[in-house]
Amino acid sequence: MQLTRLCVLALLLLFAAVNSARAQVALTAGSSLFREQGGPLHMDVVMPSVNAAVDVAEPLQLRVGWMADIVSGASVAVVDAPADRVDAITTATVSDTRHQLSGGLTLRDTQGSVDVTYHHAFENDYRSDNFAVTARTDLRDRNTGFELGYARAFDRVCDVAGTFEPVEKPRLDSSKGCFSDDKTRSTRELAIHTLQAGITHVWTPVFTTRLGVLAQLLHGFQVNPYRAVRIGKTAAQEHAPTDRARYALSASGRYWLVPLSAALGLEARVYRDSWGISSFSGELSYDQKLFGDVRLRLRLRYYAQGRAAFYSDDYMLAPKGRYFTGDRELSAMRSALFGVAFRWQLPTDESGRLLGFLSSFALVLKGDLLRSFFDEFHYDRAEVPNTLAQLLSLELRATL
Amino acid sequence: MLDSACSSKLCMLLMAAVLSACVSVRPEDKEHLAEPAMTFGDEGMSEQHEQHVLDNREGSTGGGDTRGGGCGCN
Repeated sequence: MQLTRLCVLALLLLFAAVNSARAQVALTAGSSLFREQGGPLHMDVVMPSVNAAVDVAEPLQLRVGWMADIVSGASVAVVDAPADRVDAITTATVSDTRHQLSGGLTLRDTQGSVDVTYHHAFENDYRSDNFAVTARTDLRDRNTGFELGYARAFDRVCDVAGTFEPVEKPRLDSSKGCFSDDKTRSTRELAIHTLQAGITHVWTPVFTTRLGVLAQLLHGFQVNPYRAVRIGKTAAQEHAPTDRARYALSASGRYWLVPLSAALGLEARVYRDSWGISSFSGELSYDQKLFGDVRLRLRLRYYAQGRAAFYSDDYMLAPKGRYFTGDRELSAMRSALFGVAFRWQLPTDESGRLLGFLSSFALVLKGDLLRSFFDEFHYDRAEVPNTLAQLLSLELRATL
Repeated sequence: MLDSACSSKLCMLLMAAVLSACVSVRPEDKEHLAEPAMTFGDEGMSEQHEQHVLDNREGSTGGGDTRGGGCGCN
């Protein structure tokens, strides 16, 4: 019902905007499929999305969008339960659909623009409302651009009801009864403040760079309520600090190779947070213009992070203070990604149209292969089985 | 500690970078910068989906979402 009402509202807004004079509409639709294999710990996620942007009048653009995560698979319910192989680990079936609806507007003039965006996301066990404001301006013949943004998210997570000592708290066994009057369920809150800034600069006719910084503060419930960790003879729902401060700095550059009609890209990012995780990622990309308006993009990305201060591979033998987690993404890990993407921009006729009513149409086909390495994480004595993942995407972009 | 020769080279490099930043690229010289491959944050929906996956598969997030660059034609 909630989804239907919001969709109808979004369509009405869009319809009104399209009917106004001088409206130009940009539509994007597509879907991605994420697949992670690994015996009993497989995971499939289908991510369809549709976005529309309408230039209502000269300074104003309206945007609406919908995105979903349709998840099916299995995850570990009790981390470090005695088992010599993953097949023997207690797993929990995961099946849920997350919807995200978004709406926003952009005001722009010759000097810059201001974006205001609202996202509402919901699934069986999670709710999120996010407000974001971003301002941009260009200086010096548009050779330098500044961007500053702030976002505030109000998230709610379903959890077991009652007051427990952390070492006695049970995990949530299912999403049944979440966000209802069920007395066995409660709602925990999570507040997220994100401040982001960036500078882009054009150095020469073939070289441009970007510098970006991010600071994020999280306060509230930040664990997976379904996951328990074995901490002695029994297992308890994982327990993490309620506050987390995250900082990231990234630098990237793109260089146009004139003889090859190709762009070479390089990006580096460093990250640190108050849970003790520090990470580095580096990415190299090569974007080749092929025949006509077909582009081929190749990417290599490497990522490495250290463990959180309270992470331990075995809390029975080596506890790390008052907190405990079974989240493998809080252990020291590395990953490597290889990506290929094709983008085909269809040529227009002499009048600048396609099929008589489109001003542009593009098709993007993208595939990524992601391999993760968990050197310090085990399910008791068993290695992580699901370390190879694929992401396939198809995207259509049209302007009316 | 950097020795004086090394410090001088570093200063010269920084000055060169700052001075070159003052050189303005004229609009008519931005043909290559107008290529979609030269614009940051223009990768679209599929890139957002990938970022969504990585945010859920890694312990860190953020820092690289700034848009811009390119020819600044719009």
